[in-house]
Amino acid sequence: MRPLPLAWQLAPRFARSTRRDAATSFLSAVAAGGIALGVAALVLALAALSGLQQALRAEILARTPQLEIELPPGADAGRLATELAAVDGVEFVQRFARARGWLLAAGVAREVEVVAFSERLPRSFPDAELVAGVEGVVVGDDLAARLGVRPGDWVELVGARPTLTPVGPQPRMRSLAVAGLFKSGRTERGDRVALPLDLAAGLLPAGAPQLEIATGGLDTALAVAGRLRALLPPGSVVRTWQDLNRPLFFALHLERAVMFAAVSLIVVVAALVLVADLALLQSSRWRELGALAAMGAAPRELGRLFTLLGLIVGGGGALAGGLLGVVVARLLDRWHLVKLPAQVYFLDYLPFAVEWLELGTVLGVALLLTFLCSRWGTRRLAEMRPVEAVRR
Amino acid sequence: MSVEVRARGLVKSYRDGERVVEVLRGVDLDVAPGELVAIEGPSGSGKSTLLHLVGGLDSPDRGELAVGGRALAGLDAEELARYRCQTVGFVFQFYQLLADFTAAENVLMPARIARLPLASWRRRAGELLAAVGLADRATHFPGQLSGGEQQRVALCRALLLEPSLLLADEPTGNLDPASGEQVFALLLELARAHGTTSLLVTHNPGMARRCARVLRLQNGALHELSR
Repeated sequence: MRPLPLAWQLAPRFARSTRRDAATSFLSAVAAGGIALGVAALVLALAALSGLQQALRAEILARTPQLEIELPPGADAGRLATELAAVDGVEFVQRFARARGWLLAAGVAREVEVVAFSERLPRSFPDAELVAGVEGVVVGDDLAARLGVRPGDWVELVGARPTLTPVGPQPRMRSLAVAGLFKSGRTERGDRVALPLDLAAGLLPAGAPQLEIATGGLDTALAVAGRLRALLPPGSVVRTWQDLNRPLFFALHLERAVMFAAVSLIVVVAALVLVADLALLQSSRWRELGALAAMGAAPRELGRLFTLLGLIVGGGGALAGGLLGVVVARLLDRWHLVKLPAQVYFLDYLPFAVEWLELGTVLGVALLLTFLCSRWGTRRLAEMRPVEAVRR
Repeated sequence: MSVEVRARGLVKSYRDGERVVEVLRGVDLDVAPGELVAIEGPSGSGKSTLLHLVGGLDSPDRGELAVGGRALAGLDAEELARYRCQTVGFVFQFYQLLADFTAAENVLMPARIARLPLASWRRRAGELLAAVGLADRATHFPGQLSGGEQQRVALCRALLLEPSLLLADEPTGNLDPASGEQVFALLLELARAHGTTSLLVTHNPGMARRCARVLRLQNGALHELSR
């Protein structure tokens, strides 16, 4: 069998023997350690962001309709709801209306978003505890606590649709029982209340009819959205959970990208140390390089030898750093070691979630940087005249 | 197998700061296949430079140089490396063994570079080491060998692939007289046994006289001293 190219035969031995020389072994350790540290930091930072973002996403998406359809004025919402319910992937269709309003209790008024629904409480009002037999308004637990109301209490809901009176437009008001509480969570951007459409009649402006659609899952919702568009009358607008949270998802994506770029700088600095390390290694082995050149090793082959040597040092650091990052992230997540103030955040610990594709990207970037720096560090070697090494 | 070396009007100069030093000023050289030629001359006269040109480690500023009828001018770096690998064996004054490899591994290095099957060449390396009396030192690293032993390893390394041309640059220059004599005798014996065309740079007139021809390099030109 034909032996491997010279670089592959010699680089592992050269890498092992760098330990004999204090200066080169120190620089190699700094380079490998720096790359390992940078990769571990990158893996940990991204795992923390992923963990937090996954929790945040779950929290927010639990309070967001999967699909929302705004129908054009005059559309027959009831007939369309029946038609859309038959579409593959659709689990439930209900009519709803949304408007601004005020909730009054104990002399205190709070501005709320009023959601009027048909049939049943929409899925975007999670963990609702409803009082059996009471029909009325469902309020977020946080708002209920602030207003000091409990299920069964009476509150007043003021709608945005005014009544014209001789003294001018007056707001319409209706007394309603609190039919139950839902978990508003810590990510609610404003207070919401929900009530059946028939109770809301007259309170809300006569706006365009809207439909909320529940499907088997978030991905199904995105797939179904396309199919629904074809069935809807012109002028209809379909909004997916992605559309409804686009600014948030953009911010999360941006945060991740900026974090990646910032922490990557550690790897860049460490990879530059690798350039210095390779320069010192070449200098200390210059006479041996001359001997190899005299025996017929082409300068480009010697360049490849030292590029591979750089990849062994840097790649070893990157893999060690990746392993370290994954192990530490797993430990921090398993034992909830990073605590968060529960009063401030919606979680009492920082979750870590390692995404394998992201880990692969981090390792890929670290190896690419290592390779580029190694090539840069050995460019002089690939262009050397063999006699320069022999003469030394 | 051996080759003929033919050079005409070789010129080589170096830049030393502002100064240009012309080391070779039109060197003519003819070495017949299998011939053993010594080159002597004062320090700095360009002996090593001439050897480097013939060995394809450097290229002349002017002049023609052909080894085995093949002109070296115009060969690119890869072709010159192949020429050194297939045709030339080098022995240096300071041995230039690879410190992290054992004596046997050092001897085997040309086969690694040429990517030849190592198993059969490992046997050949063992035979060569045995021939120079180092069979029991095969697994020692250069740092564990004396200067004479290291140069004998370097000699085995140079001869492993049975090169057509052996170039030795003061091979005994760094050895004590006894070791130097032993290495030189081995070099002559092996070169003659293989019929290798050999160019030997030496400061030692006694050793030079034991070669078939002696050339003297002085003032940038080569003169025949004895045949």
